[in-house]
Amino acid sequence: MLINIRRWLMIGLALILGACLMPEVALAKKIEITLWHAMSGSNGKVVDAIVKDFNATHPDFELKALYTGSYEETMTKYIAAYRSRTAPSLVQVYEVGTQQMLSSGAVIPVHEIPGMVGESWDWAQYVIPITNYYSTDGKLWSMPFNSSTTMLYYNKDLYAKAGLDPNKPPKTWAELEEHGKKLISSGAVPHVLSFGWPDWQLEQTFAAHDQLFANNENGRKGLATKVLINGEFGTMVLTTWARLAKEGIFIYGGPEYAANAAFQAGQIAMLMQSTSSLAGIEKGSPFKVGTTFLPRFEGYPSGNSVIGGASLWVTKGQSKDELRAVWAFLKYLGRPEVAVQWHKGTGYFPSVNSAVQTLLDEGWFSKDQNYLTAFLQILSGRRDTAAATGVRMGPFVQIREFERTAIEKSVSGQLTPKAALDEAARKADQLLSDFAKLQR
Amino acid sequence: MASRLWKEGASHVVLITLVLIITFPVIYALIVSTLTYQQAYEFPPRLIPGTELWPNVLEAWERINMGRVFFVTGVVSAGTAVVKIVLSLMAAFAYTHFKFRGRALLFPLTMITQMLPLPVRILPTFEMMASFHWINTYSALTFPFFASTTGILLFRQFYMTVPRDLSDAARVDGAGPLRYFIQILIPLSRTNIAALFVIEFIFMWSQYLWPLIVTTTADMRMMQIGIKMLIATDQIAPAWNVIMAGTIVAMLPPLLVLMLFRKSFAEGIAMQSQK
Amino acid sequence: MADNIEEERFPGHPLLPYILILPSVAVIVVFLVVPFLQSVIGSFFRSTAFGTKTVYVGLDNYTRLLTASDYHNSAIATLLFAGFVMVVGLAVSLAIAHLLNQKIRGLGFYQVAFIWTYAISPAVAGAIWALMFAPSTGIVPFIVAALSGGYLLNWMTNGPLALLVVSIAATWNMLGYNIVFFLAGLQNIPEEFIDSARVDGAGPWRTFWDITFPMLSPTTTFLLFVNMIYAFFQVFGLIDIMTHGGPGDATNILIYKLYRDAFLYLDSGAASAQSIIVFVVISMAAVVQLRFATRRAIYAR
Repeated sequence: MLINIRRWLMIGLALILGACLMPEVALAKKIEITLWHAMSGSNGKVVDAIVKDFNATHPDFELKALYTGSYEETMTKYIAAYRSRTAPSLVQVYEVGTQQMLSSGAVIPVHEIPGMVGESWDWAQYVIPITNYYSTDGKLWSMPFNSSTTMLYYNKDLYAKAGLDPNKPPKTWAELEEHGKKLISSGAVPHVLSFGWPDWQLEQTFAAHDQLFANNENGRKGLATKVLINGEFGTMVLTTWARLAKEGIFIYGGPEYAANAAFQAGQIAMLMQSTSSLAGIEKGSPFKVGTTFLPRFEGYPSGNSVIGGASLWVTKGQSKDELRAVWAFLKYLGRPEVAVQWHKGTGYFPSVNSAVQTLLDEGWFSKDQNYLTAFLQILSGRRDTAAATGVRMGPFVQIREFERTAIEKSVSGQLTPKAALDEAARKADQLLSDFAKLQR
Repeated sequence: MASRLWKEGASHVVLITLVLIITFPVIYALIVSTLTYQQAYEFPPRLIPGTELWPNVLEAWERINMGRVFFVTGVVSAGTAVVKIVLSLMAAFAYTHFKFRGRALLFPLTMITQMLPLPVRILPTFEMMASFHWINTYSALTFPFFASTTGILLFRQFYMTVPRDLSDAARVDGAGPLRYFIQILIPLSRTNIAALFVIEFIFMWSQYLWPLIVTTTADMRMMQIGIKMLIATDQIAPAWNVIMAGTIVAMLPPLLVLMLFRKSFAEGIAMQSQK
Repeated sequence: MADNIEEERFPGHPLLPYILILPSVAVIVVFLVVPFLQSVIGSFFRSTAFGTKTVYVGLDNYTRLLTASDYHNSAIATLLFAGFVMVVGLAVSLAIAHLLNQKIRGLGFYQVAFIWTYAISPAVAGAIWALMFAPSTGIVPFIVAALSGGYLLNWMTNGPLALLVVSIAATWNMLGYNIVFFLAGLQNIPEEFIDSARVDGAGPWRTFWDITFPMLSPTTTFLLFVNMIYAFFQVFGLIDIMTHGGPGDATNILIYKLYRDAFLYLDSGAASAQSIIVFVVISMAAVVQLRFATRRAIYAR
């Protein structure tokens, strides 16, 4: 009797175990990967659509995209997750976080991945100024995702009202000053120009004139340890802006997108702002919106405008299967139709040349010239110098605060431009040296 | 007699004016929540209410998935309030009805919570949540709040005024301390419990910084972060009409709780003032 | 009527008290004390964002902070802000509570009308005040421009103004709470004291300062402390929604600066040092409040 019971028990257990294991064997499980991103609102919807299509066309993989807050919040959460070993497969990090990510030891450089999954890949299919930003020694570390730059928006109706040619926006700061005086004296607007992301505009101005922002080749040949903003060029720029502010032409509009409302309400005639605002501005402005390249300071070399936005980074320590899924998604993003979908839905640049070609062919840019402006700007500028590619700094986020303070203090007359820049440089240098010391 | 009426009338005028001034921001918010996007940007600013309240509420509701947000915030707020109350009742009972070794030490320890508000320990607590794998869980949103100085103080003060005769009578009747606690002391504390519930519920409902760093996904989002998400638009001027609709809705549950337990709340505070 | 706790009410239950306080103590130790100690230790180190390297820097984080103009600026902003909330807030609430403390009809209605703003969270208050003060399009700038002949009230480019606006918003947020407590305190003052002062020929102002205000001191000190805690910490949501610490650090109060350093700049050493400094400040305030409250209360008797 006893032996019988034991036998039945064993059979029962075996059956149960078998039943548990069976589903594992019968169903091939989908390989799951996650992406953390900071795209909210309508941009977030486009992300969701792309992810959905990816999952539909890649039945072996399941990509979960999570909106994790702003860029800063996403970064903080990623770090906490990485330290507790729960990091996502992919994370979107803003451009100013690039050096942090490079120094983190937490990522696999994108250029190594094809080799790791046994494939090869043509990196030349990407738009060069964009990949330059995220490359070190010619090797791409993160996959460009949402790239923008800055350009000059202007109100064509106000131009006409002031007796200026609405199709001849200013090409230089000198011209801008002239137009500005005319706009004010004609009573069209009380103030003429404001900035979105004033700190970024300062960096853009440096790059546009091929001026280095920090040492060690803008932090690209080695970690930057000093900023170069308080030299002759920087002082000249801030002095100009301070003078324009005194003349009433330039009005400081606050950080980020705070100045957009004033432009849309017709209270200023010009706005230097991110290209990602284009759709919103066109929709929210009851007047004709024009765009043009950033104004230049005559007598200085020519550089390029800097890429802004964010890119996708791949976390270390994933299984081969997960890497295959990650790589499949990164490849998917490079398909022209997907890149076009992304551009059309968000206004961010397509990262692959094939997509640009498609857009040109279908006449997308001729429908709305404004979309072409920013693109032409980065494609026609230099791509061979570190100065034109943009600066790379570890404590970039904090240093941007110092830049903003310097601009505010100069423009309000609280400090002379040189003093304001010296102050910012001092604080920035200390942070940069801290960062470099820790990395040793 | 007439001067008395004048005086009272004058008081009323002053008081009504004050009420209007203080309530104006919310009235204005309500007005804006009835306008369209363009109407909210009219210049001069428009004071005539519109008709878009319901569409705006729906829009706000949808944009941040308010149904889910309400649920999470409701569970966290009510749940934490209840747990806090229970823990405070227990602790206050222990501190006032028993002599035990270490009481002198442990009571000040409880008071320390007042000096250790979240920001003083925010990074390590956050990292603790990450290492427990509690990020994006109810646990992270609630556990760190379970100890409440306010509660313990409130009940302790109250229990110190309960005469010995009560516990003596219970003991004579053969009731143990727990029976006494549950069947006599707690019902006696009803008013204070309700008052504390109001305070703790509103406190949890208003939480901002902690949910900001400890939740990352939309489905564990708390109400105040929902409001933040409503305002954080991508690259366009804020849609005040929808934002205000959202804030009005966000105000309702704590307001409801306050109104429901208004009397007990006022009584509890009055009791606290009578040292 | 403090009861004598000298004799055990329920002898023979040695373990029960420990079990009763165990959950509270456990939560306090695990989630409050331990992280605090970690904060203390962390303040002596500096590490990379990803925690790949940590170096001991002794008191360097502290010396840097205490000599940084940014930190001074933050501390001053916090003092001004908290001072405004505490002093103006209590003064206004007391005045209103005093007005409410009369035998008039509809007292219940007024009590509700003044207290309900307590249910409004700092973040919601921030959103509403941001709307009202919105630079180009808000109602307050409009009124100011109309009254002053065109002065453009733009708190996004005017630091001191921004600080004033958030101070007003925060004070408004706490009005309901303060009024309720002051009213309760006022209603606790026995009529006899007021009446006897009247009989002695004291005018309302003297009565207030000599009798009412001292008798209110427990409530006042309590509210001062609560408002201080509010102005130092709970107001975070309001600042984040309205100004993000700007413009240019004008509203970058200590708690906001701490948040930025910890979560935006990923500088855990500096953030921990700031945490400890704030702890010291708050502890001193708590101790002062305790001493003052007990001393005054005794005198008030």
